[in-house]
Amino acid sequence: MPAFFDVRNLGVRIGATAILQEINLAFDEGQVTALLGHNGSGKSTLLKTLARQLPANAGEVMLEGKTAKSLGARAFARIVGYLPQHPPGTDGLTVRELIALGRYPWRGPLGRLSEEDHTLVDQAIADTDLKPFEHRSVDTLSGGERQRAWIAMLLAQQTRCLLLDEPISALDVKHQVETLRLVQRLAKQRALTVIVVLHDVDLAARFCDRLVALKAGAVVADGTPADVMNSQILETIYSVQMGVMERAPGQWVSYVH
Amino acid sequence: MSGEATLTTPGRPKMPTRLPATVVLLCLLAFLASALPWLQQLSPLQLVSAFWTYDGDQYASVLAHFSWAPRISMALLIGCALGLSGAVTQQVLGNPLASPTTLGVESGGQFGITMATLFAPGLLALSPDIAAVAGGLLAIGLVILLTWRLGFSPVSVILAGLVVTFFLGAINMALLLLKGEWLGNLFIWGAGSLAQNNWSPFFDLLPKVLIIATLMLTLIRPLQLLQLGQTSANALGAKVSLLRATALFLVVAMTSVVVSRVGVVAFVGLAAPVLARLLGARTLTERLFWSTLAGAGILLAADTLAYWTTSLSGDSLVPTGTTTALIGGPIILLALQGFRNAHHMPDHDASPTGLLPPRRNPFQVAGLLTALLVITIVLSMSWSPGLESWNWTPFAQWTDAWVWRGPRLMAAILAGMALGMAGTLIQRMTGNPMGSPELLGISGGAALVMVTLALTGLDLGRAGQLAAATLGACGALGLLLLLARKHRFSGNQLLLGGLALYVFMDAGLRLVMATGGTVASQLLNWMYGSTWLISEMEAFGLLALVVGLGGLTLLTLRPLTLLPLGETSASALGLQVPRARLLLLLLAAALTAAATVVIGPLSFVGLIAPHLARVLGQQTVGKQLIAAALAGGLLLAIADYLARILVYPNQLPAGLLAALVGGLYFLWGLGRHGKN
Repeated sequence: MPAFFDVRNLGVRIGATAILQEINLAFDEGQVTALLGHNGSGKSTLLKTLARQLPANAGEVMLEGKTAKSLGARAFARIVGYLPQHPPGTDGLTVRELIALGRYPWRGPLGRLSEEDHTLVDQAIADTDLKPFEHRSVDTLSGGERQRAWIAMLLAQQTRCLLLDEPISALDVKHQVETLRLVQRLAKQRALTVIVVLHDVDLAARFCDRLVALKAGAVVADGTPADVMNSQILETIYSVQMGVMERAPGQWVSYVH
Repeated sequence: MSGEATLTTPGRPKMPTRLPATVVLLCLLAFLASALPWLQQLSPLQLVSAFWTYDGDQYASVLAHFSWAPRISMALLIGCALGLSGAVTQQVLGNPLASPTTLGVESGGQFGITMATLFAPGLLALSPDIAAVAGGLLAIGLVILLTWRLGFSPVSVILAGLVVTFFLGAINMALLLLKGEWLGNLFIWGAGSLAQNNWSPFFDLLPKVLIIATLMLTLIRPLQLLQLGQTSANALGAKVSLLRATALFLVVAMTSVVVSRVGVVAFVGLAAPVLARLLGARTLTERLFWSTLAGAGILLAADTLAYWTTSLSGDSLVPTGTTTALIGGPIILLALQGFRNAHHMPDHDASPTGLLPPRRNPFQVAGLLTALLVITIVLSMSWSPGLESWNWTPFAQWTDAWVWRGPRLMAAILAGMALGMAGTLIQRMTGNPMGSPELLGISGGAALVMVTLALTGLDLGRAGQLAAATLGACGALGLLLLLARKHRFSGNQLLLGGLALYVFMDAGLRLVMATGGTVASQLLNWMYGSTWLISEMEAFGLLALVVGLGGLTLLTLRPLTLLPLGETSASALGLQVPRARLLLLLLAAALTAAATVVIGPLSFVGLIAPHLARVLGQQTVGKQLIAAALAGGLLLAIADYLARILVYPNQLPAGLLAALVGGLYFLWGLGRHGKN
């Protein structure tokens, strides 16, 4: 069986600057992958390329053995969901209306929302703990609540793959943990492919099956948390002297010297 | 997840009842007001039945059936069409101030018809829609081209729309001056008249509007996605570019079909969705539905107003386009107040990246501009066409030629310098490379007073006119200050306030054009900057004013550098932001008023000179100011010279020429940057 996402010799340039070069990666179903790296290392660009938001200048992205380009826009959106790093203002939409828009790829421009759709929206609201805010305008929510509303929209989209660009940057510790736990659980239950850009190495190691680190547009580390969480590799990734402690199996603490 | 359940859970938001109540009331009142004169001759039942039948024996009944009823139906139909187009436009561009009018579609449609009248009359006989749609597409294409690099930020789109409207208006005007005998009627028509004498225009328009409206409604669901931003809409499987293009094409088609029938009915497409939104229409469906109805109500009210004014004033025809603009202005002002909430206020991300050409040595650039200016002065003073051939006036005889060529040239250069500086101030202050004094409405305030003078028939003489125009500029400034105080003098609100003033000016201008006569032509001369009216004393007065204000401007360089960093950063660095803005605003307004009385309100110099300075590599404030002043002076000096010689022995207004050349430069310049 081919990998869900298969990235071959991918290269992306913006103007004359090469952002990504010679990326070769495969992502499997049911696996949560964290993309790590310093600022400007190309994490977001890689994610955007996977989400077809940016065209590749070289190489290609295969989705289940077929070129991702061959799918129609809505067909692609039924398989792959993407959460941008900075979602824009939503101009008065309520939380529930925002989440219901996640059903667009399934219902299209004219189809009516069925009972099933409403159930899925309810489910997404419950999963993200947004029930009290259901009828509030998204613009009046705090940064963290807004981020959860967008994640809920992605859940209602019922895709087989989630591409999340720093989904927990505005959340407090409790919601950071709960969001990652939710993503992890969904990935197992529904065999989702999850690729998530994270800045917190420890959280990534705690909740993800695989860590991929980029540096200056190339892959510098790729493996299970146990492979990656050691001081040499972290120092290569971030160019800072770092140390790692394993407090318990699967729980690492990294620190800066 | 748990927690936060202790918060009170707000219920599903309901549509406020004032929305349907106000809109229905508006429609009903407008209908009653328009029916009032007829009720003296016909019973209410007879009047209502005039929509489908008439009594051949009763003259009033026939008149109602063939004049009143179709006019009402037409107003309702067009109002609905424009209200719907406006709401769709706002959704497509995510911009609560977008509309067919502010995007230049209506003036584009008018431009298309003007061109067709002159160069391809056969096309008009075939179908006026083709010419109008082509013109509308041209206008919206220009706007999109202009704002491509700026990421379609709401304010930039509106400003680009205004620039395009000005530019196409200037071409229309130049054609009118050159081929007036052909186009006189076109301008009465262009002001939007709904007068009808039978039902056929209505039944001609009805199916077209219905078809386009149905097509628009099929786009509701994808349009809703646009509220999530381009990235997320794409990620949900909408083809955003295709969707935008399709929706905008439908808007252009709808607007142009209307324009080709009844002329420019300005601002209904803006006022209707703004009204619906202010009254609490929240979701897209609500907004589309209620702004369609509100459009019908607003246009019917405006048309009734036009009808009443026409019958009260007796002789002069007051076109509906004028009264819609009179209603549109206040609604924009209302909208400005309503958008106070941060998430409703169109803000723009200043990201003119890529618009930064390499820096150049300021002395070389200033030297080059000065040299060009000197050459232009020498040419303008010396080399001119005579009745038989071109004459060269040697330097020794300049004193003789001075009285003919000197003051106007001097005034033109000074006005250009003042506008260049004012433009730089405003662009820096608002952080928007599309800002300019023409668009700030200060010129518009001066023009409004002149229009009023012309309408009331007062003759104050030249000096009186100048004083009145200055008063008007100060009045506009005062209004802007009042408006701006609420928003802590932030730039974009100012620009939008200016837009509202421009609407008023435009309405007055259309009215004067419709009445025609010598008043109109005098006013047009001034509006388009006729430098030949300048006396020597005025020129020297202007010199003193510009030198003084220019000196003051040089003292404001530091605040000008800080302000574009944003209010938070600027005040964190210790700048008293509101006070600094007030001071800069006063300076910019004084400079603009000084220039406007000379060159008229419609030149593009204040927009182009600062842009030119940037292209010439002057990126810091001080250098940009000086280069922009020189460039502005040069631009108007050349325009003045050309205006004198091009159609010798006749003259063209220099401001009109500057607007044409400047508009072309602007479109070309931004288009070129877009490609890089």
